[in-house]
Amino acid sequence: MSEIPDNLGYTEDHEWVGPDEGDGVKVGITDYAQDSLSDVVFVELPNVGDEYQRGEVMAVAESVKAASDIYAPISGKILAINEKLEESPELVNESPYGSGWMVLMKPSEDRSALLDSDSYKNSLD
Amino acid sequence: MPLSQTCLHDNHVRLGAKMVDFAGWNMPIQYTSIVSEHNAVRERVGIFDVSHMGQIFVSGKDASSFLSYVTTWDVNKLSGGDCRYCHILDNEGQIIDDTIVYTFSSQDYMLVPNASMISKVFDWLNLNSSNFEVNVHNKSDEFFCLAVQGPESLRLLRQYFNLSITPFKLIESDNLIISGTGYTGEKGYEIMGPISESQRIWESFLEMGAIPVGLGARDTLRLEKGYLLSGTDFNGSQTTLESGYSWVIDWNHDFIGKEKLLAQKKAGYKSLSGILLEERGVLRPGLQVFLEGEKISELTSGSLSPILKRGIGLSYLDLPIGTTVNVSIRNKQLKGRVIQTPFL
Repeated sequence: MSEIPDNLGYTEDHEWVGPDEGDGVKVGITDYAQDSLSDVVFVELPNVGDEYQRGEVMAVAESVKAASDIYAPISGKILAINEKLEESPELVNESPYGSGWMVLMKPSEDRSALLDSDSYKNSLD
Repeated sequence: MPLSQTCLHDNHVRLGAKMVDFAGWNMPIQYTSIVSEHNAVRERVGIFDVSHMGQIFVSGKDASSFLSYVTTWDVNKLSGGDCRYCHILDNEGQIIDDTIVYTFSSQDYMLVPNASMISKVFDWLNLNSSNFEVNVHNKSDEFFCLAVQGPESLRLLRQYFNLSITPFKLIESDNLIISGTGYTGEKGYEIMGPISESQRIWESFLEMGAIPVGLGARDTLRLEKGYLLSGTDFNGSQTTLESGYSWVIDWNHDFIGKEKLLAQKKAGYKSLSGILLEERGVLRPGLQVFLEGEKISELTSGSLSPILKRGIGLSYLDLPIGTTVNVSIRNKQLKGRVIQTPFL
């Protein structure tokens, strides 16, 4: 059973968006996504300062067998990336909502397009 | 066409394996994770169900001269108990399949073709057998095959069968064939026998501590050692010379494809080479390889070595070892180096 924290926003493509931390929102992939990918061995992250529209490919997570695109779950600007993933991509598997976060974004739109935890859970069934 | 299943299919499903279509078979790609299964084989011991592979028996008065004719090795030189890796070539010297020849006696042999090549190899043997007194039987449906691989594998063999095994030798024990062979580069062996015995052996080896390993780790394990994958690294249009496996050719005998290989040896050829990525990234089959801005080839195999934690791949090249090339990944040119396999 995958873990789906109540306080995050989600997309049907299995990204999550964290609560507003004042300086932006953290973005990552869900527990379900990391489990489907299995063994994340490489993560390609965007450059700080890049801007993305919701739904654009902004990163790639690669497992041993396949590469998966990661889409911007919300429009906005990349404020920071999780540099630890360069050395330790397995953090995405070990802690998808914690130390496996991918980017910090400054949203340029509100969160209304995101799913809440219940809707995301239903989308998995 | 419905997918075939091995005799241990339900065991894999019960263990929670992710099942995939491979060469027409529904096979476990991983039970837990490819990386942990890979490491289990390098550090301890893993067990693979490879019952999809074939068992073709060749017997009769001319069996050894026939197999010498249809393979790159002079099978006349093998003695009872010997296993020998070699290639089966077409008239153009191109690899139809790679196989191990199991020698029971000078009139009794077994070949183990890859799953997708069983009927092709069987037909090819029959097509070329008319001048030989031999019987060719495809018994692939009657046999299971389990590969037990890793530094602790020999301890389990002693514990269960009270036997030891030497690399590239075979033992017959009751109705089982145990051979010092594998596809991982580790110490290990493969056990073949009638499918009625498969449950007992699979379950016993799991109880003794062997970790079940799927096709995902089988691929990364073989790629680290530079072993060929049928259908991927050769697909009917590459010769043994090009594959980099000229050591499987015994030039002092006549065999199908020999003339073409001799001609190619004179003319020169590209050969399958290792590429080690020098930047972070994962190599994949089909990625394009560039030399000084010009596309020169594609990768046949590619992955990430779980041990080296680097991208590794194979490609047909005519470049010296050490040459720097670029591999294009998502429109980025990443630097790689041509190296002599094995990678590990």
